[in-house]
Amino acid sequence: MSEPVLSVRGLEVTFIGGGRPVPAVRGVDFDVYPNEVLGIVGESGSGKSVTSLAITGLLPDTARVKGSIRLGDVEMTEADREILRQMRGQDVGMIFQDPATTLNPVFTVGRQVTEGQVAHGQIQALRARERSIELLREVDIPDPDGRVLQYPHQFSGGMRQRAVIAMAMAGRPRLIIADEPTTALDVTVQAQVLSVLAKRQADTGAAVILITHDLGVVAEVAHRVAVMYGGRIVETGPVAEIFKRPRHPYTVGLLQSLPRIDSVDERLVPIPGQPPNPALLPTGCTFHPRCPIGCDRAICRSEEPPLRAVGEVHHSACHYAEEVARLFADAMPSDRIPASVVARAAAAGPPLLAVDGLKVHFPIKAGILRRRVGWVRAVDGVSLTVGPGETVGLVGESGCGKTTTGRAIMGLIKATGGSIRFDGQEVTRLSPGELRKARRHMQYIFQDPYSSLNPIKTVGDIVAEPLHIHGLYEEMGGGARITELFELVGLPRTVLGRYPREFSGGQKQRIGIARALALQPRLLILDEPVAALDVSIQAQIINLLQDLQKELGLAYLFIAHDLSVVRHISDRVAVMYLGRIVEESEKATLYETPVHPYTQSLLSAVPVPDPDARQTRRRIVLEGDIPNPAKPPSGCYFHPRCFRATERCRVEEPAFEPYPGLPTRSACHHAGPLEAVGSRRGASS
Amino acid sequence: MTGYIIRRILQLLPVLLIASAGIWAMIYAVPGTPIGAIVGENATPEQIQAAIQRVGLDQPVLVQFWAWLKSAVLGDLGRSIHSRDPVLDLIMLRVPATLQLGLSATLVGLILGIPVAVISALYPGSWIDRSLSGWSALALGVPTFWLGILLILLFAVQLRWLPSASTYVSVFDSPLGALRNTFLPALTLGVYVSGIFARFLRASLLSELKADYVRTARSKGLKERDVVGRHVLRNALLPFVTVVGLMMAAFIGGTVVTEAVFTYPGIGRLLIQAINQRDYPLIQGVILFVLVAHVLINLMVDVLYAYIDPRIDYS
Amino acid sequence: MSGGVQRSLDLARRVFARKGALLSILYLAAIALVAMLARWVVPFDPVAQNLMSTLEPPSTAHWFGTDELGRDIMTRVVYGARTSLLTASGAVIIAGTIGVPVGLVAGFFGGWRDAVLMRIVDVLLSLPGILFAMALIAVLGRSQLAALVAVGITGIPSFARITRAQVLSLRKRDFVMAVEALGGSSAYNMFRTVLPNSWSPILVQIVILSSIAILLEAALAFLGVGIPPPTPSWGEMLRTGKSYLYDAPYYAVLPGIVLTLTILSLDTLGRTLAWVLEDRHELAEEAAPDRMVP
Repeated sequence: MSEPVLSVRGLEVTFIGGGRPVPAVRGVDFDVYPNEVLGIVGESGSGKSVTSLAITGLLPDTARVKGSIRLGDVEMTEADREILRQMRGQDVGMIFQDPATTLNPVFTVGRQVTEGQVAHGQIQALRARERSIELLREVDIPDPDGRVLQYPHQFSGGMRQRAVIAMAMAGRPRLIIADEPTTALDVTVQAQVLSVLAKRQADTGAAVILITHDLGVVAEVAHRVAVMYGGRIVETGPVAEIFKRPRHPYTVGLLQSLPRIDSVDERLVPIPGQPPNPALLPTGCTFHPRCPIGCDRAICRSEEPPLRAVGEVHHSACHYAEEVARLFADAMPSDRIPASVVARAAAAGPPLLAVDGLKVHFPIKAGILRRRVGWVRAVDGVSLTVGPGETVGLVGESGCGKTTTGRAIMGLIKATGGSIRFDGQEVTRLSPGELRKARRHMQYIFQDPYSSLNPIKTVGDIVAEPLHIHGLYEEMGGGARITELFELVGLPRTVLGRYPREFSGGQKQRIGIARALALQPRLLILDEPVAALDVSIQAQIINLLQDLQKELGLAYLFIAHDLSVVRHISDRVAVMYLGRIVEESEKATLYETPVHPYTQSLLSAVPVPDPDARQTRRRIVLEGDIPNPAKPPSGCYFHPRCFRATERCRVEEPAFEPYPGLPTRSACHHAGPLEAVGSRRGASS
Repeated sequence: MTGYIIRRILQLLPVLLIASAGIWAMIYAVPGTPIGAIVGENATPEQIQAAIQRVGLDQPVLVQFWAWLKSAVLGDLGRSIHSRDPVLDLIMLRVPATLQLGLSATLVGLILGIPVAVISALYPGSWIDRSLSGWSALALGVPTFWLGILLILLFAVQLRWLPSASTYVSVFDSPLGALRNTFLPALTLGVYVSGIFARFLRASLLSELKADYVRTARSKGLKERDVVGRHVLRNALLPFVTVVGLMMAAFIGGTVVTEAVFTYPGIGRLLIQAINQRDYPLIQGVILFVLVAHVLINLMVDVLYAYIDPRIDYS
Repeated sequence: MSGGVQRSLDLARRVFARKGALLSILYLAAIALVAMLARWVVPFDPVAQNLMSTLEPPSTAHWFGTDELGRDIMTRVVYGARTSLLTASGAVIIAGTIGVPVGLVAGFFGGWRDAVLMRIVDVLLSLPGILFAMALIAVLGRSQLAALVAVGITGIPSFARITRAQVLSLRKRDFVMAVEALGGSSAYNMFRTVLPNSWSPILVQIVILSSIAILLEAALAFLGVGIPPPTPSWGEMLRTGKSYLYDAPYYAVLPGIVLTLTILSLDTLGRTLAWVLEDRHELAEEAAPDRMVP
């Protein structure tokens, strides 16, 4: 291989100020070569983003950097500010996480794309517009001549991130650092952005550092992988090695705790405990308190293992790296059961929840008198049922109306039309007081555990609150009931008097679950309950939910955007697009034989944590963005982005009806399995 | 845009209507008869009779209010009890003085406030930030009437450079005379608003400096001067323009205390005179005038903000 | 409830830890104490005239000198503190008891209630604060109660707006919706969830508005429309003192120092509270428009 573009040795970053120093990065070595994508994977607090900011010299003043960062011939840690500035934009380009905030809202996109090049004197200010148009065209922005003069708020999320890619690549830098570039995006948009990134990387031959928490994205895009934990790289090697023959127990833990879209596990194997707080790192190996193979051996507690070779180009920082092979071999194959084998018996009897033709329309007001000029059809005719003890997954991208559906069922948002029957009782026409009583047995779990708990109440009081509201505190056992609820969700009774801020995200979500269980509900509506959590914690919560379901016979309506999580937990799955359910089926059928083109595109866009799949999978990259629900397209809402669309789809709305031969209902004029129809038209691979 | 402006005006109408009804009702709430409040205690029977005719005291209340409002809209605010001059004329005589004071005070406030804010925001938490923040607190904490007294003591009593009582000299007639007479009041008021400006702009700059787009701008290799001078300042100035505008709106009539300190002949002093003389038509007229001017400038500030911020879709 | 006590102690500890705030509290406590115990602190009568010793400069007998009617200026400053503090607390109570519920209802329910209540608040804001107060006094007549009521009504909009802004931001938080989902009624949610989470900005506003109320009361007295003589008032003293700038400059200067320090202390305390309670490092947006009492 040629000379590395970037060479990092012994990098240490410590934050000072506000108490004692916090080591965020503690000795990191790696190289990146031209034409290579290095994936850096880790959970929050692992030091991965700090590493990337250190490379570009963009750390805040409270950071102290030690070690060596060589970019080409320049030692970045010793270079003065002016040289560092010169290198940014010209030698290093950066792509950040949230495209909503990375662009300056008051300047046009075009100006921002070439601003760096103008500042570096690479192009003249007069030629900047022309160059911006060219760059926007290269990242597939439609109508670049018009778009170049628009402001960021006029771009959709996916277009903004593509503009950021154009901006980062404008000066043809040798190194691109992409920090969680698709985390804030929907899965079909993520697929677009990743393919643009890959295309531009191939065109320019730049080296790319891709920082992410998503193993699927790494498997899809990276050539080499570095896994970070507690401020260090704990394992590094080629992507196939890392996924097939991991040699660090943490990597194994990550892979096992991840729900997969390509197979079904009975049960996830979470990593116990919490990721370490950089200010309070464990002694010795930072992973030892959570490690399944350390077995409390003395050396793990006293000595930090060095990163050592365990293969030709494979390194691991584990004292017992050789034993990891066995751990992985033991765990993986037997637990992975092909998806079609696992299917639970469908629930018999009348459904617990029956939603029929649910509509939630919000008025759009405009004009001088703020008169209603139209409706946002957030939910536009959703029908679904949930049986006792059953889990129904409701998936869709942001803005599809899945959360509004959940909240309307709960009565938190008023339904515009349709019926909601819970336990045989119609709840849409109840008065507020009757509704409060009726939905005692239906409870809601929120996405963000940080904002769903009242910060000024103790967690004991928070869990007791529903009992007090309904005047059932004494009747249901008082303090003993609260203790029982905490034990049910795996929290010790000693924490009752503490405040929410003293808990981690996963623990807060457990408290939220305990609160929802207080009134002995029969149905839980879970709105993205694990989306805000790290992978290892996510697995703990998913397992808890499954255990509770078995123990208490709960029914779940599981609302999520993550198709892998939904596949793992659900019995049946419904897919939403623009306020409507487009396909609904038994889990196995929906994932193995989807018949709606949207479901097919969605499934093909999900990155799979298996590098081999890169070659074999066919990907359908959807064009364009999700339309505005205030102005939905005519006919079938999906037709402008659909690869099977015909004239009929433009004019005629498809009915939601059973698909012959499968336990599926779908709303498509041209429904059918992908093999049969998909190849006919332009499904790009 | 036009639609947006019309909608804002329509929103303001009820506010203006309620407020002017309140102003109109003043004379009914004061001790004594309303007619005494309109024509004064020493009026002749003919004057009383004329006023009863004009105001229509024998008419139903709503009709009276309507008549009053109609003539007010047409510019007839009645006559002063004290001088018998039309109220509107008396007000218009004072408007240039108040405008000159308000604008020069804003200028002083900007000259003192903006550098303080920018330097503070560039080195947050440093000794210089702490001392400048202390200065802002002092500027806001010292009452204008006391600061005015101190300035008179220094410049008029001790140094004898400037007069202790100011009159209005238009800057267009005699720039030097205007400076002599307007400098102290403008400085007094300007120091106070510089505290508001500095605090607001500093906070605004600091929150913008934390925004993600600043990191993006740095990652492009822009000079720090351009990152702050173009990206950050542009964003921070948007809300700042609003505050400057609101301040200027408040100066219509709101300069009353400073005018009193320096016996400066602005609208505020006219109001105090009117209150002291129980000249109710004049009190009503001044307050109604300030109300309308204040509300209209606020509206203009809103419209300006919608115009300069590309994110606001004013349809 | 022990949690509340715990939190209050914790708050006090964090406020006292900051030097500026500590000094401010000590100064304000001293002023309040002196005002309450005025009769035992200063030996003179605040209103009895002594025409034998008018406009005497500061001396050991009269630390701040005497005024044009021979009254001890320091005595009048001490009794003036009483007037100031009483007017300010009365005004803040009026502003808070009206403004907070208005903001709470407008923010919590939104819709027509919000539109109506906020239009009324707009009416109160349609004049610069001091002119609004003057107009009210022109109607009510000059008295201590009129000054108190006028200053209080002028303060309603800031409480209403700050409470409303806080309620609106809380409405977006999941824990408020969670209480609804658990079956809590609107009243329960408003008073047991939203209001207890709104105390921080309201407390900050109480302190900030106290300083504005003291300033406004003094300004009205300075203009000759505030509390009528002979009741001692800081603003009234500055007004009279200004007439004797050549003969007795200390007359207008010394009471002004006491007034300025009071306002500065309240301002420092308010900013410290905002910092400690809400992690807000500046009282920028909300405070600026309401500060306009030039």
